[in-house]
Amino acid sequence: MKACMPEQDSGAKGTLSRRDFLKLLGAAGTGLAFTPYVPWGNFMPNPDTASLEKAKVILPDDTHANVNTYPINHAEVITYPKTGDSVLDEEAFRKWQFIRLPPELGGDAKDVSAFRAYSMVCLHLWCLWKYWPEEKRRRGECPCHGSMYNPLTGTAFVGPASLQAPPSNTLPRLTLEADVDGFLWISPAKWNVNENGVVGYGRFVKS
Amino acid sequence: MVVSLSRRNGLVDFFYWVWDGLDRTVFIGTKFSFPARFVSPFGFLGMLTFVVFIILGVSGALLMFYYEPILNRAWDSVEKINNDVPFGFHIRNIHYHASNAMVLLAILHMYYQYFSGRYKIRNEILWVTGVILGTVTILEAFTGYDIIFSERAELAISIAASLTNSIPIAGPTIREAMFGSGFHDFVLRFYAQHVFVLPVVMLGLMAVHLPRFLVFDVPMVMAISGAILITGGVFPVDMGFKFEPTVPPGITVPEWYLTGLYAFLRTQYDKFVTGVLWPGLFILALLVVPFIDRYKKFSWKDRPLVTAFGITGITQIIVTTYWGFYISPDTAMPLVQRLVIDPILFYTVMILLVPLGFGFSYMMIKMSKEAERKAKLAASKGPQKVAQIHLSAKWINWLIIALLGFQVYLNIAAYNAALSGMNNFSLFLIGVITLVFAGLFHVYRYGMNEAKKIPALPPTIEKEIPKSIGVAPSTAAKVPEKEKSPEPKLTSKETTEIKTVSALSEDLKDKTTDLKKL
Repeated sequence: MKACMPEQDSGAKGTLSRRDFLKLLGAAGTGLAFTPYVPWGNFMPNPDTASLEKAKVILPDDTHANVNTYPINHAEVITYPKTGDSVLDEEAFRKWQFIRLPPELGGDAKDVSAFRAYSMVCLHLWCLWKYWPEEKRRRGECPCHGSMYNPLTGTAFVGPASLQAPPSNTLPRLTLEADVDGFLWISPAKWNVNENGVVGYGRFVKS
Repeated sequence: MVVSLSRRNGLVDFFYWVWDGLDRTVFIGTKFSFPARFVSPFGFLGMLTFVVFIILGVSGALLMFYYEPILNRAWDSVEKINNDVPFGFHIRNIHYHASNAMVLLAILHMYYQYFSGRYKIRNEILWVTGVILGTVTILEAFTGYDIIFSERAELAISIAASLTNSIPIAGPTIREAMFGSGFHDFVLRFYAQHVFVLPVVMLGLMAVHLPRFLVFDVPMVMAISGAILITGGVFPVDMGFKFEPTVPPGITVPEWYLTGLYAFLRTQYDKFVTGVLWPGLFILALLVVPFIDRYKKFSWKDRPLVTAFGITGITQIIVTTYWGFYISPDTAMPLVQRLVIDPILFYTVMILLVPLGFGFSYMMIKMSKEAERKAKLAASKGPQKVAQIHLSAKWINWLIIALLGFQVYLNIAAYNAALSGMNNFSLFLIGVITLVFAGLFHVYRYGMNEAKKIPALPPTIEKEIPKSIGVAPSTAAKVPEKEKSPEPKLTSKETTEIKTVSALSEDLKDKTTDLKKL
């Protein structure tokens, strides 16, 4: 038998024969040729499908926020973008601190300039910060590692978030507008660092 | 009805048949030994870790019947398990405290192997898989306490996801792929990782990690289980507050095995460096230890540098763990002052611990060598002072009966406590039952060993020789000094225990026959 098949014997001692190598190459090449057409990465991520459109600023008590009634130096939590699914709307990534600035920062103005809406996700390690309206605070504070945010600009001025390089030191912000009756609306958001910012990552401050 | 007093009845025969049949399975390479006397648990901490893993598997499977991994229902389902489901409180507490016990046992196991140099001589694979297994164990415990979705759990998930996100280049992709895009995905996927992906990885690693000789010491296994139950009874795990996105959470500290990492994060430096790189380097350092340690000897006393590194590492872990826990209780201070750890002070302490750790190791090695030298000197003269407790067969029987009676009482008490809603007290009592069983088994084992022993020789009767005659007693009645006390000196090798005992008793039988001939 050995004498009949000399070419098989040549590759027996642990080395790959030329024929086997070419076969392997062919198989690997066939496999690789198809790989770009298989959407490998599509299964695992679960991208957000909520549509980004103009939306009312709905307060937790289900009323539409109005310039004339919303108290000065006060913050509420609003949801954007809403999905209609109550579970998905619970998500921290959809939560924004809706702040009317204190008077010294222009909060008594009767227009949209008195309002801010910043992502509640802290830029350091994604805990949820909150606005504190008390006399000596009047700033956003994160309970995890103590980052503090300026309510006027959304930029961190103390704590670990303030030490991160831009854009990771400034909170994403929603663009607000007011209609003639004083009702407040959220303009469609653009999630990139030069526009509204990226939740959990940051935003470049436009000079 | 015929009652057989033979210990090989039908059921026992069946078990032996199954046991022998296992020789044909994958277990052929694994040799279990059931020590016949007390052996130090340090030698089989790994086996204890594995036993706790099994406890976690069983209790976790029971929790899966009620837990719902959905963002707004997770906490409520855990609350239902804790308060409404019969024995849900017990199962949840066993699962929680067993997870802590497993992490603790795994860490102790690792350090015992580290200081005794067991990772050498073709045990490198065991060591490397063990370190990975330990890391996965911590990840498993971490994902477990996250899916309750209390306030603390939400913060922990946030930190885990954002630390993954902070890895340069690949971070956001890994985060998207592994954790999904929002908290709804985070909870669901942490659950999937916790109950399936990570345990399967652990089982795979265990197949490589488990050595061929396993010590299954029933009393110690029962003692560890009892300790878990008693801890659950005395310190039942709380529910925390349900996470509400509109109510930002208060200050929370992670579980004890992560507060060290938390201390590093609190120094304000870059989150990737402090939260991913430092722990990664620590794990890497542990992985390469067997390839760096070139000492020819095993004992920690003969490997001063490796010992000093280990001691330094332990002190740093202890200091950072405590520091991570400590938050100034003064609520008048701004949050950032209470939370942030001064990086200069922190890293100075870390560096100062290095000479301290090395000095301490040097001192310990000096002292233990000195103690060894003195022990050697003392051994050559003077008697051996080893206290021993000897119980007669009669007292062993009475003790076992008393312990059984106590067991019956404890069972009734535990059942009564569970019926009347005193869940933590019943859990505590079940723990005591388990501990008493451990004691019972040990006494039984001791009794069986005593029964196997050759009874002591009857005292030799010296011939009464009138003093006046003054003739020396005949040599026939004299027994050589050594053989007067047939106390078998057992080696510490548990695996050859039974063989040694039987061999020794054979030996002794020969000697006694010799004596009889005399």
